[in-house]
Amino acid sequence: MRIIYTDVLVVGGGLAGLRVATGVQERGHRVIVLTLVPPKRSHSAAAQGGMQASLGNCAMGWGDNEDIHFEDTVKGSDWGADQQVVRMFVNTAPKAIRELTHYGVPWNRVRKGKHTAIINAEKVEIEEREEAHGLITARDFGGTKKWRTCYTSDGTGHSMLYAMDNKAHENDVKIHERMEAMSVIHRHGRCYGVVARNLMTGEIVAYIAKATTIATGGYGRIYEVSTNAIICQGTGQAIALETGIATLGNMEAVQFHPTAIVPVGILTTEGCRGDGGILRDVDGYRFMPDYEPEKKELASRDVVSRRMIEHIRKGKGVPSRYGDHLWLDITILGREHIEKNLREVKDICENFLGIDPAEEWIPVRPTQHYSMGGIRTKYTGESQTLKGLYACGEAACWDLHGFNRLGGNSVSETVVSGMLVAEYISDFCDSPQSHIGISTGAIEDFVRIEEEKIRRLLNNDGGEDAYVLRRAMEKIMMEKVGIFRNGRDLQDAVEQLEQLHIRSKNISVFRSKSYAANPALVVAYRTQKMIKIALTVAYGALLRTESRGAHAREDYPMRDDINWLKRTITSWPDPEQTLPTVTYEPIDILEMELPPGWRGYGKRNIIENPDSMIQQAKIDAIRNELLARGADRFAIQKALMPYEHLLPEKYRGRNERLYERFDDEKDEV
Amino acid sequence: MSEPKPRKLKINILRYDPHVVGDEPHIDTFEIEEAPGMTLFIVLNDIREHHDASLKFDFVCRAGICGSCGMLINGKPGLACSTLTSKLPEEINLAPLPFFELIGDLSVYNGKWMRGMNERLETWIHHKEKELRSINRIEEPMDPDLAEEIYELDRCIECGCCVAGCGTIQMNENFVGAVGLNKIARYKLDPRDERTDADYYELIGDENGVFGCMTLLGCEDVCPKKLPLQSKIAYLRRQMVKTGLNENVTKCNCLQHEEKMPEH
Amino acid sequence: MSKLHHSRVPAYLDFTQSLTGLLLALFIVGHIIFEGSILLGPDAMEKMTLFFEGYYLFGERHPIIVTFLAIVISILFVVHAALAVRKIPSTWQQYRTFRNHMRRFGHEDTSLWMVQVVTGFAMFFLGSVHIYMMMVNPEKIGPYLSAQRVVEGWMWPLYLVLLFCVVLHAFIGLYRLALKWGWFEGKNYRRSRKIMKRIMRAAIAVYILIGLASLGTYVSIGLNLENTPVEKAER
Repeated sequence: MRIIYTDVLVVGGGLAGLRVATGVQERGHRVIVLTLVPPKRSHSAAAQGGMQASLGNCAMGWGDNEDIHFEDTVKGSDWGADQQVVRMFVNTAPKAIRELTHYGVPWNRVRKGKHTAIINAEKVEIEEREEAHGLITARDFGGTKKWRTCYTSDGTGHSMLYAMDNKAHENDVKIHERMEAMSVIHRHGRCYGVVARNLMTGEIVAYIAKATTIATGGYGRIYEVSTNAIICQGTGQAIALETGIATLGNMEAVQFHPTAIVPVGILTTEGCRGDGGILRDVDGYRFMPDYEPEKKELASRDVVSRRMIEHIRKGKGVPSRYGDHLWLDITILGREHIEKNLREVKDICENFLGIDPAEEWIPVRPTQHYSMGGIRTKYTGESQTLKGLYACGEAACWDLHGFNRLGGNSVSETVVSGMLVAEYISDFCDSPQSHIGISTGAIEDFVRIEEEKIRRLLNNDGGEDAYVLRRAMEKIMMEKVGIFRNGRDLQDAVEQLEQLHIRSKNISVFRSKSYAANPALVVAYRTQKMIKIALTVAYGALLRTESRGAHAREDYPMRDDINWLKRTITSWPDPEQTLPTVTYEPIDILEMELPPGWRGYGKRNIIENPDSMIQQAKIDAIRNELLARGADRFAIQKALMPYEHLLPEKYRGRNERLYERFDDEKDEV
Repeated sequence: MSEPKPRKLKINILRYDPHVVGDEPHIDTFEIEEAPGMTLFIVLNDIREHHDASLKFDFVCRAGICGSCGMLINGKPGLACSTLTSKLPEEINLAPLPFFELIGDLSVYNGKWMRGMNERLETWIHHKEKELRSINRIEEPMDPDLAEEIYELDRCIECGCCVAGCGTIQMNENFVGAVGLNKIARYKLDPRDERTDADYYELIGDENGVFGCMTLLGCEDVCPKKLPLQSKIAYLRRQMVKTGLNENVTKCNCLQHEEKMPEH
Repeated sequence: MSKLHHSRVPAYLDFTQSLTGLLLALFIVGHIIFEGSILLGPDAMEKMTLFFEGYYLFGERHPIIVTFLAIVISILFVVHAALAVRKIPSTWQQYRTFRNHMRRFGHEDTSLWMVQVVTGFAMFFLGSVHIYMMMVNPEKIGPYLSAQRVVEGWMWPLYLVLLFCVVLHAFIGLYRLALKWGWFEGKNYRRSRKIMKRIMRAAIAVYILIGLASLGTYVSIGLNLENTPVEKAER
């Protein structure tokens, strides 16, 4: 048995994982990153549209700041987010983007003078400031008041991931490629690493660390069609769940992106609509203004996706052999814009649809895209219940996104949470609590369990076919736990998934019996994990009898702030239980900086909590009083909901902007 | 509108599992009925699910973005995920990308080679001062056109197709390949990188670098991202010859370089 | 180790290979045209010969000039060959790997390189013989003497093969040189490459035709030499 010791173990080599790794390495801790694929192939690379950060360099972003970014994000989350975490995030995002610039991301830049843009299907002339020339520009994205989404053409995630991985090379971060974490090693409520399997040789290795970080992304692949990469299977969440101690948060919060191409479900970026693209129905009619007169195509993703389905249900979809779809029209942006700023979209249209998006409309349909849920953590990224286990990025429920994530906030979260969590982990590693107190014998037990599981899968004869179970699960999730949900379907889904879960214990690996590189074996053990994750999603959705953000119940269309302003917490304490255990974590309105209200888009369908009024009155009073005393926005914010003390010291500073210049000598306004 | 009868595709796959004792490279043939919009991603997964669960291949994004699924498609390197079967003849030959370490069947360990290349060419921004003065401050401006030009080269997805299509590397395995040269061109463009031409000459001024390139242009013609490889390699060649032939440049920077060495 | 890296030699070698290649190719471009003057009749060829022997400059013939030219060319030839040999597969293993790659790939520019390798290799011998003969017997150039050499000296098979080798090698080489150094890239280098390739193909065709026609003419003159005493004819 091989045991590899390190200070910090990071599972997942995407943006979040790499940023944690470089962060702890720079603090002087040894780190190893385990990845399924070379880091540069991670799903972070597929983020096309951009990264939100309130730099306010471009004319349409002028005046932007943390407060507006905060408000947009909280509204986008339908008040599900942890507002302190949102504050930490919006303050760090500009720093993250500036750091990435230092690492080499080129970013598209402001060009001084006039240029035309398409806004609301009309040509508009915009004049950029002289002093902003060459600074990072931004584009419009859904659910934002300002143009805040910084981008590199439509390969933002790609350029960020490459810069980050290159930084990891520079820092000589150890990457163990094609290593899959199979289970979390823990003892007495403390996590000590993972058991991992080498996907090339089949070797089982124990990695022991003071702190273990899971940064494995989302679980979109439990759905039949998803924009996610095929490795986004929720195995990171699953191994945390299987400890029986760590918990998952808001697993039912699953985002559907409005514009994935039909039928393959590959994403076309929100940048298409941000840059002026519009949605059309079977008659070529632009329908979104009828539903969302203010934000139109640029309401938040959950809202646009629902409106699209509503419209299709009215018989306005475009029939095709793969079901109904709608059209995304970017022809109005002009060929030059498309070939420069939407190249990936153009490539995708050409390669997968055989069309030229500068000439033809793109067939699109809302498709599973993002997992707001994940490993429930404290603001430090540490599991609330399993010490030494950390999570960040999409794998975590930190909780920045609540029940709906804004476009551009996910890549932003990956690096921001990576930066912050790296500091908290380093602090932990520097403290005496990080002592590794597990015996070799105990480690060996964990390894043996995994070896035994694999042996059983390979030697089991006449059991279940993993592919059959997997396809059944995907179909159930697609049909019964989709954009619009209802009690009857969800009940069905949970029951059927429970049966699949029971059957999955008897999976056999047919035909392919190798212990080394063996895709059939991989499908087998991952399917077992995925069905558990699917159950947490479906069960959480069944229990939540309200509609909030991306979770839309037809039988409970109201957002219920009285009974449901709380997070779903899921665990699996007994391996023999066939349904997860669900509890709830309340969200206190009286601690909010922005109490619940209407989002400004979507249906106004809210059961209001009286606390919201009380808190709003309290906030208004404080604000007015401070304004009368001439306090600035920072002082007001601090009075409403202090958060700075939570941030690592090095990230507490304010952010300079063209209209909030620092004193030349000091890093202050 | 009656649709024509779907074609029966004959998929010949070069298979070999180095982990299986006694296994020899051989061709397995599978017959698949073609469907509209079918890509090789769909074909291969279909084979794995319904015909042979042991078939090894790599996909991640399945959208032509991540660069995992490079393979020889009828002899030509390309991304399997974004190759429509409708653009291919009925008989399709698939083989792993040559040159890279084989994991099994169509799966190669090109991540390892790429990491080696990146480390060798130090493909990261070399700042004079490692730390940013302050991440709170407004970023350094960059010319908008230049930023776009850098991104143009930054679009490389390290899929390895250029390496597999390179005749030079067949005979000189230490050659950095178009992927490596493109990276140098990218950093050379970037004003944030303080490296001089002499520094780049250190990295690619030999037969394993730009002077090894014989301009066979396999790279240029197979690059799935249509990177301007031919043009950029030519540019580097001109620059590196200029640097190499200029006595002053090289000498002066050699000294600097040697002075720098002990600090490392 | 760092010393090796600092070496300027690779830059020199690369530059020199290209430069010698360019000069040789340009020489060939002219050479075949001059040779083709025979198509305009023996007199035209005669005048061309006289021109190269400096007759029009000095008023008398100096075949030594041709020797001198041949020496220059042979130096270029040797240098170019010595440098090019670095690139040629040196072991059977290498050759086989490349050939497999080429066959599997079916990529024109890759295959063209193999054409250059083969033609280059052939020219080691054919070219050397030809240049050496010109160097030592410069006075034996002329419509009838050359024809005599072609036919009676049994040089026509050598010239025939050499013609194909040299034309292919030179024009593929020129095409590759332009791409290698980024000449004539224009606004759209991909389009330029297509145009250059078309020019290359056309030039190869034209030059081979000219070459064949000239060679045919020499052969025909050579076969009729019995009726025309050589020495008399030359005066």
